[in-house]
Amino acid sequence: MSGQSIWDRLENIPREILYGILLVVFVIPMVFPLGLPVPISSNVETWYDTIEALPPGSVVMIDFGYSGGGEPELGPMAVAVYKHLFRKDGIKVVAMSTSIEGTQLWDRAMDEIRPESYDAVYGVDYIHIGYIAGTETAMAAIGTDLRATTSTDYHGDSLSQFSIMDGINGAEDFDLLICYTTGGDQSEGWVRQWVTVYGTDYMCSVLAMMVPTMLPYQDAGQIISVTSGAQAGEMESLVRVPARGIKSADVITLTHILVIIYVLIGNVAALMKRGGNS
Amino acid sequence: MSITVRKTLPIVIVFVIAVVVMSDYFLVLPPVNDAGTSWTGSAVTSLQNWGIILTAFSLGFGAVNLFFFHSKHISRRTPDQWYYSLWLLIVVVIFTVIGVFLGPNSDQYSWLYNASYFALSATVYSSLGFYMTSGVYRALRVKNTESGIFLVVGLLVLAKNAPALTVYFPVLRDIVSFITGILTTSAQRGIMIGGALGAISLGIRTMTGRETGFLGKLTEEERGGAVG
Repeated sequence: MSGQSIWDRLENIPREILYGILLVVFVIPMVFPLGLPVPISSNVETWYDTIEALPPGSVVMIDFGYSGGGEPELGPMAVAVYKHLFRKDGIKVVAMSTSIEGTQLWDRAMDEIRPESYDAVYGVDYIHIGYIAGTETAMAAIGTDLRATTSTDYHGDSLSQFSIMDGINGAEDFDLLICYTTGGDQSEGWVRQWVTVYGTDYMCSVLAMMVPTMLPYQDAGQIISVTSGAQAGEMESLVRVPARGIKSADVITLTHILVIIYVLIGNVAALMKRGGNS
Repeated sequence: MSITVRKTLPIVIVFVIAVVVMSDYFLVLPPVNDAGTSWTGSAVTSLQNWGIILTAFSLGFGAVNLFFFHSKHISRRTPDQWYYSLWLLIVVVIFTVIGVFLGPNSDQYSWLYNASYFALSATVYSSLGFYMTSGVYRALRVKNTESGIFLVVGLLVLAKNAPALTVYFPVLRDIVSFITGILTTSAQRGIMIGGALGAISLGIRTMTGRETGFLGKLTEEERGGAVG
């Protein structure tokens, strides 16, 4: 070890040190929010404008298609968008889950949203029709005949007793479809089963690493807007409901800068070492 | 079992169902009812509901299979494995009992999910950030022209994804927008079209009985190969 030059050490920083610094950089803004600026990207703006343009009486379908692992990224976005929908007059929000954990995660989101603070009533303004197995088959079935696919909400109560479900029988009765998902089966499946067949307006929020796979659909006009859950801070700024997303934005900025610094250090050290050897 | 039952009959069923489902997608075949739905429409709705029921059934079947698989490990005391299998089955039983008797939307089930599975799942996924940081630091090195391009693009995308950096350096947004909107999307589109063509050819092969993987293990004769 004593024979190692400074460049050797910088080229091979032990992972414990890398992790330790990352942890510190991660924790500081979580404990002491820095309030770094959060720019609004065009996709998030389009998403916000689409919801703003919904007239009273519009019906929105939301798919809680993410798993617990993706909740820290997608949960804040789902919460901010729900708050936006609840704040508008006369919007009906029907949720379902193509992920088996979706109903639990919807409950978590509702605890955070507190619909009663927006005077939203279950069964009148919003409802959850439960987990429907089969992913794309479920999407197709719900689109064709919702009542034939499920006759109860996620508590097992008959759908016919909820006024929100009056006149809702399939995809053609929905004005907008929103999907939060950690899986490509869901985000692409809705395009195949609803957008192509019924021409439903569709927006999806996915993991940041999935965005490139979804952009071709957006460019083709099949998806109005694709956002990543990491942009939740932007949505919270637009909707003016600062929460977990804004806090995460500070963390994302600092940790990304740290990773850039790590990469630069590694490359400079490797170059200097190579230069010294030659 | 005869080759007719093991191979021909399943292929005929797949072929007929595939034709009915596809025809409903493109055509309105008579007779059509008052609501404007053709006979294939109601047939396809029933088939889709069967699909949903079968998927739900397969989840339960998977749980039973899990029990058999891990019970063997426990009874054989497989080294470094059996206690994990035991713990898994205990957790499965706890979740199942609470879910069945108190309901999957009960406070108890939600508490159990939030306090165990959700917390662990989010932790495991989040810990990837640490591995990826270390991995990027070691792997993203300039060794030749290709890795140099990879490094530059990687750093630009990283910088663009740091929200505050794009406020101070708005040009990052334009550069990365070109990379993702033009370069990545065009490549991605090619991959997707290729994948779709592959899926179509696989579908046709399955419908016509040339792809027999879904039938399970067949003999060479049943597969249509040479008889030894």
